[in-house]
Amino acid sequence: MNDFAELENELRKLRPALASPFLFGRIEEAMDCMANGRRGDPARQPERSPHNWLSLGFGLAGAAVLVLFAVVKIQWQRERPQTIAKTSPTSETIPALNAIENSNSPSKFIPAGATQVVYNARDEGLHLPDGLERPVRRVRYQTQQTWRWRDRETGASLRVSYPTEDVVLIPVSGQ
Amino acid sequence: MALIDKICTWQRLEDKDREEVMENIASHEDWKSCFSELAPGLLLFARQWVHSAADAEDIVQEAFVKFWRRNHNIDNRPLLYAAVRSIALDFIRRDVRRARREAAVFAETESAADPQFELDDDTQSALAAAVDSLPCDQREVLVLKIWNELTFNEIARALGISQNTAASRYRYALSNLKKSLQPQ
Repeated sequence: MNDFAELENELRKLRPALASPFLFGRIEEAMDCMANGRRGDPARQPERSPHNWLSLGFGLAGAAVLVLFAVVKIQWQRERPQTIAKTSPTSETIPALNAIENSNSPSKFIPAGATQVVYNARDEGLHLPDGLERPVRRVRYQTQQTWRWRDRETGASLRVSYPTEDVVLIPVSGQ
Repeated sequence: MALIDKICTWQRLEDKDREEVMENIASHEDWKSCFSELAPGLLLFARQWVHSAADAEDIVQEAFVKFWRRNHNIDNRPLLYAAVRSIALDFIRRDVRRARREAAVFAETESAADPQFELDDDTQSALAAAVDSLPCDQREVLVLKIWNELTFNEIARALGISQNTAASRYRYALSNLKKSLQPQ
C-alpha cells in the first residue's frame, strides 16, 4: 500500500465540488415540513399508505363497474342476441357500439363504448422469481380504462374512468 | 449505456431492511453542522450515478432528510451512504430513458458537464479525469475511502460487499490510476 501513498495524497488534495447554497435551504424546508408533520403522531407511517387506499378505492370502483357492465350486457344480449358486437383483441380502443342506437331495450343506460389507453410501459429488468429456474423480464403497463353508457331516450351519458396496472412476466432464454 | 445497465443490476437495499436497522438508533444532533461536513463527499458519491449536480443534490437531499427523519445516529455513516446509493439507483430506474439520454449526451460533451471537483491546475484535471474513467465498482470504493474517509468495514456495509472485496477494489482503483497517469 506504501506504493500508493503519494497517489493517495494527491487524490486527497482534490476537493469535491461544494453543495449549492440552495441545497441547505431546501433541506431546511424539508426538515420544517417533517417537524410539522410529526407533531401529532411520531409513529413512522409508511408514506405510501394513502396510495394503497387510493388503489383499493379505484380497484373496488373498477370491479363494481365491470359487474354493472356485465349485468347490463347480459340483459341486452338476451333481448337482442342477433346484434352482438365484435371487438378486436389487438385494438386499444373499442369503437362505440352503434348497433344499440336502434335498440328497443327497456334499460335506460346501455353500453356505449369502452377504451383502454396504455399510457406507460416500463421495463423493470430481469428477475428470478421463486420456483423458476430461468429469469423473466418484468414489464409493467399502466393503463386508463374508460367505460361509457348512454340513455337512449334522454341522451344522458354515464362515464367511468379508472387507472389499472398490469405486470407481465416474459420468459427469457439464453442464446 | 453499458454503465447504466450495469448499475441497474446492482443489488439494492430493501426499504424494509433499511427501516429495521434505523429503528433502534436515535440522535438529536444539529443537522446543519453534520450536513455541511458531509455534503461535499455525499454529493461526490451521488455523482457516480448521475452526471448533473442538480440531480445529485436531489438524491442527497432525499437521502439525508430520510436519514434524519428516522433519528439515525450520524455515526452510522454506512447507512447514510447506502441510502444515497439506493435512492440514486431508484432515481435511475424511475427514468431510465432520461438517464440513457444523459449518459449519451455526457459521453459526447463530457467537458461541459458539471465538474465533480474544484480543480486548481492541469495536474488535478488529469487526476480527476483518471478517476472518472475508473470502472464504477472501483470508483465508488475510492470515493468513499478518499473523500468520505470511510473505513473498509464501513464501505463494505454501505455497498453490501465483503471487507476484502472493498479493499481489493480500492487497490485495483489505485493501480489503474497509477497506470493511466504514467507518461506514455
